[in-house]
Amino acid sequence: MSREMALAAYRHLLRSTRIAFQGDIPTLLAARHEARKNFEYNRGLATGSDELSQQITHAEEVANFLRENVVQGQPDETGKYKLRIHEHTERGDNEDIKKGKGNTLAGTKCCAS
Amino acid sequence: MFRTALLRSARQAIRAAPRCQAPIARPVVRSSMFQAKQIVPAARFQAVRCYSASAGLTKDEVEGRIMDLLKNFDKVTEPEKLNGEAHFHNDLGLDSLDTVEVVMAIEEEFSIEIPDKEADAIHSVKQAVDYILAQPDAH
Repeated sequence: MSREMALAAYRHLLRSTRIAFQGDIPTLLAARHEARKNFEYNRGLATGSDELSQQITHAEEVANFLRENVVQGQPDETGKYKLRIHEHTERGDNEDIKKGKGNTLAGTKCCAS
Repeated sequence: MFRTALLRSARQAIRAAPRCQAPIARPVVRSSMFQAKQIVPAARFQAVRCYSASAGLTKDEVEGRIMDLLKNFDKVTEPEKLNGEAHFHNDLGLDSLDTVEVVMAIEEEFSIEIPDKEADAIHSVKQAVDYILAQPDAH
């Protein structure tokens, strides 16, 4: 079971890199290389171990972060940066922060610490 | 004399026809610099669409594009085993992570998103071709 979860996490991660770094081939390749490296590093973890589920959770969190909290920008001819904000980008406002619903980074403890 | 020449050129045109759409529909950056190294993700994978292409893809075209993609994937250890029936793991020597990468590259090639369940079920060239042919959005 965890094998499928790991593969699904890998797929989500690759998909997120595509969303976050679309059009920026060097960064996209670097991100994918890094993802692959970490999955290779954890390849030997025992099925059902805590360590494995932690690593899978970590991969899913990274995937979410890349998708929702990373935007790239490019300067136009006047020198102003134009951000590529896409449909998945997390858009919070002050009200969200006060409420702290838990599904945004605001109002929750970061990275399960 | 004239007739044989005519026939020959007609035959060539027919042979060339099903493949001629493929390069047009592809993102431009794909071809040049990275090709030999690994699967290069399409830079703007939905930006280039070939609206003039006829509706639907033929089996030969889909198979050709998937094979081209696998040919350029450096982890395929035995390229001579690559054919329409090849199994990613048993024939081509790809591991499970490679398979995920291949399926992802197929998604980018045809500008579709394959849901997790169906993506997990794709383990061979034939399964990939069948899946793409069943997708009306694939192009």
